[in-house]
Amino acid sequence: MRVDGVATAQASPEPTALPTNVPDPAHGPQKRRLGLRARVTTAFALGALALSSVLAGIGYVAVRTSIVNQQLASMRHQALANAVLLRGELRVPTAYIPALITTLDSGPNTDSLIYSTKHWYPSSATLSPRQLPQALKVHVLAGSPAWQVIGSSGIAQLVVGVPIHAQSASRSENAAYFEIFDLSDLTRTLHTLLAALTLAALITTVAGAVLGRWAAGRALRPLRETTQAALAIAGGRLDTRLESAYFADLAPFASAFNQMVDQLQERIEREARFTSDVNHELRSPLTTLANSLSVLEARRDELPPRALQALDLLGAEVRRFRRLVDELLEISRFDATPGDISRDEVTVGSLVEHTVQATGADVPVRFAPGVASQHILVDKRRFERIFANLFENAQRYAGGVTLLAIEDHGDSVRFLVEDAGPGIAPEERDRIFERFSRGSTGRRRGLGDGTGLGLAIVAQHVNQHGGRVWVEDRLGGGSRFVVELPAWSEVVT
Amino acid sequence: MAREKCCSIVNLLLPPGVSKLSDNGAMAHRVLLVEDDERIRASMRLSLEDEGYEVEEAGTGEEAIELQTQALVSNPFDLLVVDIMLPGMDGFECCRELRKASAVPIIMVTARTDTHDVVAGLEAGADDYVTKPFEPKELAARIRALLRRARAGEPGLVQLEFGDLEILPEAGVVRRSGEEVHLTRTEFLLLCELAANVGKVLSREQLLERVWSYDYFGDGRLVDVHVRRLRTKIENDPSEPRHVLTVRGLGYKLAP
Repeated sequence: MRVDGVATAQASPEPTALPTNVPDPAHGPQKRRLGLRARVTTAFALGALALSSVLAGIGYVAVRTSIVNQQLASMRHQALANAVLLRGELRVPTAYIPALITTLDSGPNTDSLIYSTKHWYPSSATLSPRQLPQALKVHVLAGSPAWQVIGSSGIAQLVVGVPIHAQSASRSENAAYFEIFDLSDLTRTLHTLLAALTLAALITTVAGAVLGRWAAGRALRPLRETTQAALAIAGGRLDTRLESAYFADLAPFASAFNQMVDQLQERIEREARFTSDVNHELRSPLTTLANSLSVLEARRDELPPRALQALDLLGAEVRRFRRLVDELLEISRFDATPGDISRDEVTVGSLVEHTVQATGADVPVRFAPGVASQHILVDKRRFERIFANLFENAQRYAGGVTLLAIEDHGDSVRFLVEDAGPGIAPEERDRIFERFSRGSTGRRRGLGDGTGLGLAIVAQHVNQHGGRVWVEDRLGGGSRFVVELPAWSEVVT
Repeated sequence: MAREKCCSIVNLLLPPGVSKLSDNGAMAHRVLLVEDDERIRASMRLSLEDEGYEVEEAGTGEEAIELQTQALVSNPFDLLVVDIMLPGMDGFECCRELRKASAVPIIMVTARTDTHDVVAGLEAGADDYVTKPFEPKELAARIRALLRRARAGEPGLVQLEFGDLEILPEAGVVRRSGEEVHLTRTEFLLLCELAANVGKVLSREQLLERVWSYDYFGDGRLVDVHVRRLRTKIENDPSEPRHVLTVRGLGYKLAP
């Protein structure tokens, strides 16, 4: 027996029936938007980045200007001081300039050049006057002091030139003193500063993102809690309310929500109470009816034929009434207490055997190999109701059950109830499991004492077991009701 | 095999002739019917009398307790049928009160089958229950099953001992550490059934069938609640049972 067609049998309208050019709203060209939390996080991060960049930039420029000016000024002062000193020395006619240059007070990374009597005297051998910028040289030799920052081979240097008007007996020419300061220390300092500020900006950005995420999370927390509360309420925990401290700022919202749930709960409880009252009120007279009826039926022999006929009618209607009340209550009990189910672990074989026996139906049973000894966790009474109703349904509309087949599907067990009746139209296959639905043509209420609740009870019991039920075509005509229940596993217990 | 063994004990406890007594008309069982609705009470009385029982009626729980107290001295009831929905003292309370003085079998009548009512009734001391609107035959069958096992005290069985627990089947007496424990007939039979199969797991179905005469579709809650009640009486710590053990997914057993 093949049951591969099962999945499609239950599917409602065929997707191919839809015009193909209609865009699917779920997969349309709609842009995927970032979640609120991601957007808040991004905004916080960008804001922090912008702010910290501006602050770092301003800080850098200010510090840089201040340090550079200070440094350059002190360097210029040093050069000037050296020049003044030199001027004094140069007045001595016997001054030996190359020796003189070494006596000057200059730092470790400083070079000096003296121009005197048309000669250049460098402080170190590697130094040549060509390294001086031409414009500066001309300017200084013309008689005015000057300074310039140059970048030779990637290393920044400050060149300060001071003209010396040394007037002595022998020399009255123009001399000049040049000092070249290495600025790499300063550059390094500035680089370090820049790196530190950049790092600070990055840290601020990350901190901004974290803060944004946290703030968004906090802002969204009431929403999350509301979602959980709504799910809890939907799951039947009607006493759930929004009470946490996160709703302090959302008091009107929380109280509106709670009010809604209060009313919902009150309404549900009122209905449950009503059902329970109706339940009791109907059951009491039925008890009297059933007992009185049995007393009358025990005295059938004493009754005249007409009274007997009336008694039979009465008996049939009382039983039907009783059954209707039972089934209504079975349905409403599910509405009131959906989780009220007591499961036992049983073998499929004994369960089916006892069930068929209890329904009193003459049904051929076929087990797939191995399935009879498999264990299953069910409420036996409900299981019996499921199949009693399916058998009765088949009896009423399709001339009886032709086969009850049990199949093993790994993590589930399927019970197939087949009949050779007229079958059920595809568009009615979902609807027949609804309450008081008797299907349309060919399934009208006849002489029988059906309540219209049988299949709804089947669907309800199957759902409560975590299973599925559906109807499909049987090969060779008729219908096949398939009850699929989860197989027993350790996890379930 | 074990089934035969257990039956042998129960059969000795309950000789086959006993349940036939009322059918023979030799000695009708006395049944007290506690129900507030007059018409239901009257119709139930009629159908129970048709089944051969001698029926007394009570409209309230208080009246029932009074009748039972009087009857205990002269002509005790064999069984009580108690409706849960009673004005004033409800059926649960009535059961609890009755249980204080007597182990008489009680069938509870409920209009609801949800777990709360059934379990509460059984916890209160009822031995079994029927749901309105029951078939009169159904109630009669439950009464018969209860009365059948309500007969005990036949001689012939040895004393059984399990640790601090002592069972004297012929006297219908159970002692814990030498002190007599008051069990209802159903609790006593449940214990005897487990004792007859000591060390062996009995499923809820087996216990339902042997103690309550239910078929495969009996309500397992009957067994669970009675085991719970039994434990509160015979275990030192009912939450850590030493004698009646639960075997998950299978049933119960008595530890040797």
